Amino acid sequence: MSQIASTAELRPVPPVGVSDELSSEHPVVFEVRDLDVFYGDFQAVRGIDLDIRQHEITALIGPSGCGKSTVIRCLNRMNDLIETARVEGTVTYHGVDLYGPDVDPVEVRRRIGMVFQKPNPFPKSIYENVAFGPRIAGLTADLDDIVEESLRKAALWDEVKDKLDEPALALSGGQQQRLCIARAIATSPDVVLMDEPASALDPIATLRIEELMIELKEDYTIIVVTHNMQQAARVSDRTAFFSVEVGEGGRRTGRLVEFDLTERIFTSPSEKETEDYITGRFG
Amino acid sequence: MNDRRTHFHRELAALEADLVGVAGRAEGMIAEAIRAVVEDAPDVADAVIASDAEIDRIYLDIHDRWLELMARQQPMGSDLRLMSAILVLNATLERMGDQCVNISKMATVVHGLPRSEQILEELQEMADLVRPMVRRAVAAFIRRDVAAALTLPEMDEPVDRLNRQMYQRVVACGPRKEQLEWATRMMMVARALERIGDQAVDVAEQVVFLATGEFREFGDTAGSGDRT
Repeated sequence: MSQIASTAELRPVPPVGVSDELSSEHPVVFEVRDLDVFYGDFQAVRGIDLDIRQHEITALIGPSGCGKSTVIRCLNRMNDLIETARVEGTVTYHGVDLYGPDVDPVEVRRRIGMVFQKPNPFPKSIYENVAFGPRIAGLTADLDDIVEESLRKAALWDEVKDKLDEPALALSGGQQQRLCIARAIATSPDVVLMDEPASALDPIATLRIEELMIELKEDYTIIVVTHNMQQAARVSDRTAFFSVEVGEGGRRTGRLVEFDLTERIFTSPSEKETEDYITGRFG
Repeated sequence: MNDRRTHFHRELAALEADLVGVAGRAEGMIAEAIRAVVEDAPDVADAVIASDAEIDRIYLDIHDRWLELMARQQPMGSDLRLMSAILVLNATLERMGDQCVNISKMATVVHGLPRSEQILEELQEMADLVRPMVRRAVAAFIRRDVAAALTLPEMDEPVDRLNRQMYQRVVACGPRKEQLEWATRMMMVARALERIGDQAVDVAEQVVFLATGEFREFGDTAGSGDRT
């Protein structure tokens, strides 16, 4: 890691006006360069270069084992929680080295929230689930307002406003996932990472999550890992296609094959490997 | 390379094969339609008109199968581009058949009227120019041959020129009412042949799109300029 930064420097740049038209003028939030990730002796991904732009949805797609979840977990230092994990290369966030020695991983995860594949609300009330993050961060003054605003942004308020004290686990799967999104945005993050956020949901709940993602990108930068190519095509602005290379002894290492505007990836990708994957000619 | 979508790709290949079959029929119709005019043969014209029903049937069949594949298979990449090209080509080839019907109807209407050999020679020349255009465009489609597709605008130029000068030929037929009526109808035949030439260029544009992912009208870049 090349740069040392204090937590205070981890400050998002002011949001820019969001245009309907994709533009390279959207500032880069994450700049990933030559990223290698190891779990012990096993190299999970190799040489990843990726620019994630503000107020866009970036989708990471690819076959199982291609390292897309590994990469997304590097963006909020979730891999720190795995003892054997080792990250090499550079990940900068608004120009600051995310892995700098003075950077506090907890502060990183406040600014860069995450939603997982399986809805995982705490066994508490709906209200407490959303209030949890702000409470930890010491934001207790306007807690009711934060909870309401977060639930509204997650398109859940109307469904739960009269039962905020009821257990979160009584909600449907789709509602629980939107609650997890509300929980993620309650700490006012800059970025929301989503690791297959709809893969455990039925088609209707999936579409609600997808619609929500499109609404949320006005306020946040979103990165989504998905196995569902159609989902990536429907929601994302840019798509990164990852693949697996099999090395000595059958070791499988993920690498980035192509990263481009989503429209281009799904209509005329530059790389044959991408074309083979999206047309089902692979393996 | 394993194909994980063999069923879909088999259906897609069958759709393309049927489309190519329609192109062969359309090219044959051009030859017969112009023969009906040149030989003043209403029976040949009637046969062309009747044969269009088969093109229409296949056109509708391809359309239905296309829609089903689109809804069920959600193609992407080159598959998506091929689906897009098939939709455009299906309509283009069906209209080619319609132009042959138009030519044949003209042949029926002018049966027995006095004719101009010069006009007939030039209409035959136009047909002889247009048929290879259709053949080359379709061959380029089958082979995804961009270089061959890019030659179509140049092939279209003499067709456009012959069509433009047809007005002068009609005026030169003089004041005789019956011959003028015949000649006026022949101007419409020339127009139909010129449209078929344009449609062959449209097919070639789809070939470039299919092979490269870039769609552009040849008229804008290939220098022919005149697609009228």
